[in-house]
Amino acid sequence: MHTELTPNESLKLIESMIGQAKKSFSRISFYFLLWGALMIAAMLSTYLLRNTDPAWSNGIAWGVAGIVGGIVSFVYGARQSKSEIVTNPMDGIIGQVWISFVITLLIMILCGGLAHRDPGPMITLLTGIPTFLTGRILRFRPLIAGGVIFWVAGIAMHLTSDPMTLTVIYCGSMVFGYIIPGIMLKRQENGLRTA
Amino acid sequence: MAFAPLDPVLHNQLRLAVVSLLVGVDKAEFNFILEKTGATRGNLSVQLTNLKDAGYIVVTKSFRDNYPLTTCKLTAKGVKAFETYVEAIKGYLKP
Repeated sequence: MHTELTPNESLKLIESMIGQAKKSFSRISFYFLLWGALMIAAMLSTYLLRNTDPAWSNGIAWGVAGIVGGIVSFVYGARQSKSEIVTNPMDGIIGQVWISFVITLLIMILCGGLAHRDPGPMITLLTGIPTFLTGRILRFRPLIAGGVIFWVAGIAMHLTSDPMTLTVIYCGSMVFGYIIPGIMLKRQENGLRTA
Repeated sequence: MAFAPLDPVLHNQLRLAVVSLLVGVDKAEFNFILEKTGATRGNLSVQLTNLKDAGYIVVTKSFRDNYPLTTCKLTAKGVKAFETYVEAIKGYLKP
């Protein structure tokens, strides 16, 4: 490497290196694919079990999906943090956004249960926030669009009570909000990102 | 108008590249910096030592899976020096 730099060269070098650092996000596509698949499976199970007794068993798939997803995410995250070669401050912000989402989600489920109301439509609306913000932070448009899709789906779910329609809307929002952006993000991570 | 003197520690292609890279992250491993700067291992080691001696970075040596692991992090002094350097460079570029 040359050691003599003109001011212009210095500035270009700084811009280039800061640009490299900005691309060094952790790999997070796994979480979108995992949770997208789990939520679709839970929604389909809920639809198929909708007439079973006792009534609480209708929603058992959500509990199983939540526990399985939580354990897998924790193990994956722990392994990933061990092998990361760089940590980006934005990774922490994305993590905090999702932690705040999970806390609000749990409160909504609890409140929905106590009030005997289906929290699904509100949770779908809520899912738009972290998805949209993650897309903005990563500057990744499919996730920004995913956030908007959750908002639209959340509104649509408030306008119907038909189990089949609710299932189609929810599963569709998961496919277009999590799964497809997750696949696209995974391709980008494999091609561009090193962390 | 007199130009502000450029920090000789930072006015070096590889050292400037390292500090610019570290400004955008919390911390980075040796291999990450190696890959992004395209430097040789030997040269990078020397320049990291220079930056460490200047107090601009902290170099932490540890082990991962029985392999040595070198992690670098910019210090507050390093951040300040980088900001001062960028301001000085801007002065040179003004018409």
